[in-house]
Amino acid sequence: MHITKATCMGVAKSKWFVPLFAVALGLIVFVAQWIGGDPGSGLISFAILAGFGALFLLGGRSETIRGLRGDGSDERFRQIDIHATALAGLAVIIAVIVGFLVELARGHNGDPYAWLGAIGGVTYIIAIVIFRIRG
Amino acid sequence: MKNRVRELRTEQGLSQGELAAAVDVSRQTINSIEQERYTPSLPLALALARYFGSTVEEMFDAHH
Repeated sequence: MHITKATCMGVAKSKWFVPLFAVALGLIVFVAQWIGGDPGSGLISFAILAGFGALFLLGGRSETIRGLRGDGSDERFRQIDIHATALAGLAVIIAVIVGFLVELARGHNGDPYAWLGAIGGVTYIIAIVIFRIRG
Repeated sequence: MKNRVRELRTEQGLSQGELAAAVDVSRQTINSIEQERYTPSLPLALALARYFGSTVEEMFDAHH
């Protein structure tokens, strides 16, 4: 028995989402820096983010690029994405803990690292509970 | 996980890309399965087995 197309593994998504998101984020950062009185740096930020957007859009058939922008993402790439996200989260948590300890050692109250750590920790626990309930 | 994906695919004269398109995954995922570097999900294993007119048990050997 042959099937012509599976329906649940899902490769295709729009390749425009990530590039457009990068450009939109660049515009928001530009406006924020413009409001903050530094439109020159805002333009540089916009150019960097728009450059990333162009890289993603014109990145050819590289599996990494296609997976990151979504149109080449299947179940294996989603697993890779989960592992990469977990690793990136671990790196951020370690940085937050180190920053928190350094701030305490400098005689400060640990902000903003204390808040960032709290947000990360609470989100993690809530996620564990929700995913456990969902099975 | 040891499997017969490459054997069945080549028997039918299919490229990795053609099989990938048939079960809606990337060519690299088919390659990873054949190289036993990636264990497919149950839905993908079922789709592959159905595509080749086989069963998951016949295609995949969990003991190796």
